[in-house]
Amino acid sequence: MGERGRLPGEDGLAARISRAQFLRKAGLGAAALSGAPLLASCAFGGTGGQSGESEAKDISGSFDWKREEGATIRLLLNKHPYTDALLADLNSFKEKTGIDVEHDIFPEENYFDKVTLDLSSGQANYDAFMLGAYMVWQYGPPGWLEDFKPWIENESATNADYDWEDVLPNLRAADSWSFKVGDPLGTGGQWALPWGFETNAIAYRSDVFDKLGLKPAETLDELVELAAVLSDKAEGMYGIAVRGTRSWATIHPGFMTQYSRMGEKDYDVEGSNLTPAMNSPTSVDFHDKWMGMVKDSGPPNWTQYTWYQVGSDLGAQKAAMIFDADINSYFQNQPGSTPAAGKIAWHPGPKGPDGSLATNLWVWSLGMNAKSQNKSAAWLFLQWATGKEHLRKAALEKNHVDPVRKSIAEDPAFKDVMARNENYIDTFNQLIDSTGIQFTPQPKFFDTTTSWAATLQEIYRGADAKGALDSLASDLKSQIA
Amino acid sequence: MDDRKSRIQASNVVTNALTIAYFVFALFPVFWILLLSLKPDEQLFTTYFVFDPTLDNYKTVLGLSGGTSGIPFARFFVNSLVISFGAVAIALVVGVPAAYAAARWKFRGSESLLFTLLSFRFAPELTVIIPLYVIYQKLGLFDSYVGMIWVYQLIALPFVVWILRSYFQDLSPELEQSALLDGYTRIRAFFLVVAPLVRPGIAAVSLISFIFAWNNFVFPLILTASDAQTVTVGSLSFLGGNKPNYNFTAAAALIAAIPPLILAFSIQRYLVRGLSFGAVKG
Amino acid sequence: MSATAAPEQKERQVRTVSSRRRALRPYLLVLPSLLLTIGILYPFGLGLFYTFFNYAAATPIPDFVGLQNYAAIFSSPEFWQSAWVTLRYAVSTTVVETLLGVGVALLLFRGSMAGRVLERVLIVPLMIAPVIATIMWSLMLQPTVGVINYLLSPLGLGGVEWTDSPRGAFLSAVLIDAWIFTPFVALLALAGMRSLPRDPFEAAAVDGAGYWFTFRKLMLPMLWPYILVAVIFRFMDSLKMFDVIYALTRGGPGDSMMVLQVRGYQEAILYTNFSVGLTYTIVIWAAVFIATRLLVGVFGRAQARAAGP
Repeated sequence: MGERGRLPGEDGLAARISRAQFLRKAGLGAAALSGAPLLASCAFGGTGGQSGESEAKDISGSFDWKREEGATIRLLLNKHPYTDALLADLNSFKEKTGIDVEHDIFPEENYFDKVTLDLSSGQANYDAFMLGAYMVWQYGPPGWLEDFKPWIENESATNADYDWEDVLPNLRAADSWSFKVGDPLGTGGQWALPWGFETNAIAYRSDVFDKLGLKPAETLDELVELAAVLSDKAEGMYGIAVRGTRSWATIHPGFMTQYSRMGEKDYDVEGSNLTPAMNSPTSVDFHDKWMGMVKDSGPPNWTQYTWYQVGSDLGAQKAAMIFDADINSYFQNQPGSTPAAGKIAWHPGPKGPDGSLATNLWVWSLGMNAKSQNKSAAWLFLQWATGKEHLRKAALEKNHVDPVRKSIAEDPAFKDVMARNENYIDTFNQLIDSTGIQFTPQPKFFDTTTSWAATLQEIYRGADAKGALDSLASDLKSQIA
Repeated sequence: MDDRKSRIQASNVVTNALTIAYFVFALFPVFWILLLSLKPDEQLFTTYFVFDPTLDNYKTVLGLSGGTSGIPFARFFVNSLVISFGAVAIALVVGVPAAYAAARWKFRGSESLLFTLLSFRFAPELTVIIPLYVIYQKLGLFDSYVGMIWVYQLIALPFVVWILRSYFQDLSPELEQSALLDGYTRIRAFFLVVAPLVRPGIAAVSLISFIFAWNNFVFPLILTASDAQTVTVGSLSFLGGNKPNYNFTAAAALIAAIPPLILAFSIQRYLVRGLSFGAVKG
Repeated sequence: MSATAAPEQKERQVRTVSSRRRALRPYLLVLPSLLLTIGILYPFGLGLFYTFFNYAAATPIPDFVGLQNYAAIFSSPEFWQSAWVTLRYAVSTTVVETLLGVGVALLLFRGSMAGRVLERVLIVPLMIAPVIATIMWSLMLQPTVGVINYLLSPLGLGGVEWTDSPRGAFLSAVLIDAWIFTPFVALLALAGMRSLPRDPFEAAAVDGAGYWFTFRKLMLPMLWPYILVAVIFRFMDSLKMFDVIYALTRGGPGDSMMVLQVRGYQEAILYTNFSVGLTYTIVIWAAVFIATRLLVGVFGRAQARAAGP
């Protein structure tokens, strides 16, 4: 059954509260609650931090793809084009290694709930799964994730062509943290392997711009004005689509990107103390401007807008611009997929006052369950899935973009494929050096960022920005403390 | 006389009008779901009532003739059938005797047992889901038919016992006494005399329990992976990815509505009577 | 002689031999449900147990904190906001569904042509899973591409915000809930109406009593027990509503629709504060328990009155 956590003093606890007393207190009818041992064995799994040495040390000798022949691993995957690309190529992995791969796919709505449950229960139903950088901050501290550093460094465990350095440095850092609040990303263990990522940029209708004689905005004020002009003049369209649901995913793409470019921070860091900074005067200004833009030139049902609505509005010719993940608009531009296909162009978006093009990113990564019973086999899978061969094939044939590896991004064949999208590669190249996680890592990321999104919704409904943000900051202060 | 007649006619018109109005409200969404299920992808958000209908969505959902969505919807359908019928069957097998006993005998703890049973009905699903997630994994019940059938007893069983108990209470014990006097064993007396009389009640609780099990979302969401997943959760998996296929989900929803509908139509005449007797007496 | 003697003998045998077995019988009959009950009580008890700890992803080895979780949520404004929304929601849906359901039942009871035909499809909305119904409705209620606003716009009502504003979201949720569950109330009420004795009504008709008078003074009191059952079921279920709210706006816009179980789910699964989330659910359970006890008490008295002279 593997390790299981024990609640401290639980035997004493059960003894002190006799069964009958407990039942009467709980007001339950005549039924028996089992005694301490059964309770203990059903206690949630999870120990604090990784115990003992990494199992990577157990692998020795020369590398062999077939070293786990006959094993079976289970994957938990999100319904996503990357997953489609993976499944299309899975047979080549099975042939290479003789390992059988089972997988369960869930839509993103429910996907992370499943991951959370599996990891927290300590049952290791799944050996490997998809996750994002922010999840590392949540799943890492309780010790649910396997550290990949020992695996990558062990030459017996990893094939010679893996070339970890080929993976873009900002992405490697995004999935690496020491779990000490105040430490930046890139310190500590490697908790996930970058698999496919998204920067955030403006995607717009080049034909509409041409017709109206417009150019993409270079500053935030220009963007607000441009959106208003488009709302007014572009037929049947509103100016700009951005996300707005009550979720961290609303803050993360365009909003956080522009926020960071304006020089704003989510928290001020002093040593290991974080102070919420969303209510600084300049931040309040930014919120006012952004939400003003949304109210005047954004989608009518903004609080319902997720990735899908933003992208599909662009594709359905309802939005003239979007400020969202670059690949969101990429999929709207593929031939025959939407009415707007072929008419979309990309632009890095407004620069900050000092010319900053700081951009937030999302990196779908692959992680390993720290309680997995098949780590060696899972590692073989993971190095294959994040390796050059599969990723290149997936990028060229199955839209697995943006590629996390430099070699693929610079591959002429890849550039050819992408060239069909106006200015996509240019924008990508302009942004890539300043693209990274703009948030300050902390374990309560989802909690706090969701509250931030809720505050945006309040401002949208007419609440005073300063008041709402002050209240947010004081809420978060007590949460982070 | 004429005045009264025309008043009755007027009120008939009003009645008919109001009735139709309600049913337009009740049925329009179903009609809309039907329309959605026939729309091709490109026309999902760009058309209302005029579009080019296609059966492709149904084919894709069911995995027929080359259409594939990667979602084993047909398997989910079978899962739902097994789990829902199983849950109702167990609830009846376990609940009917309990209801009968509770009605006929006043034994120690009957009231508190009954209320305990009923109190499950009050519990939000979330209360048990998290502990169950762990427990089921340890017991090997995760993502299994047995696990789901057992969980659904949480709601089905109290319902069965509560409603049928009042049914049994309504029946005069003399019926069974005379059967016993005729030499039948208690068991035969039950099946011959008592059971037929509570048929409406059994039909009613079976249908309601079935619908509950069939339409439930949270339990299968958390407690199944892909082996025992049900149609309700499965219908939503078409909404993932970078293209939410509401048309597939609509088709799936209609397909999923068929078994409950068939059951409802066949039991309907019992339903009204069934609900009236049992429910009222509490 | 032998024909009648045999059963008598058998009966005497039955009486004497198994009097102990007979005493045991009720317990045997109840045993399976008892076992199932225990099987369900265990995870329930475990859930309750965890509310006394601070189990969360951040604290995988939890400490015993006694009633701290309860104290914390009772002193948190979010809890009370959730409780208030939940109460408003439960009351609104119950009232709407009861009024509408009884109204529909009255219409169908009249046996009009439309009624007789359409009664057969009364149950259809109940057949669609609430989650799916909510998703389809939210599509219909979309301001830009939704069909409802499209149909309303010729009437000049096309600008409704539905899910975008707190009021709109609340209205939409109640609307969807009512759409799904009104048939339940209607069926119950209709069953009640059909089971009522005809005599009092015939007498009243002969005496020239008007429709509404008959309804208020005669039908309603007799119908009360049925209505109360519907009210109890709907109120209980609405207090712990999850599917509709979660599928509609996840509790938004802002925090306006964060009913208790949605907030509990958010705490437990999204924020991985398991103990906190479970505390919410125990509070819901207690609230529903109390509410039901009260309603059943009212119900008992109403039933006594209905049983009347």
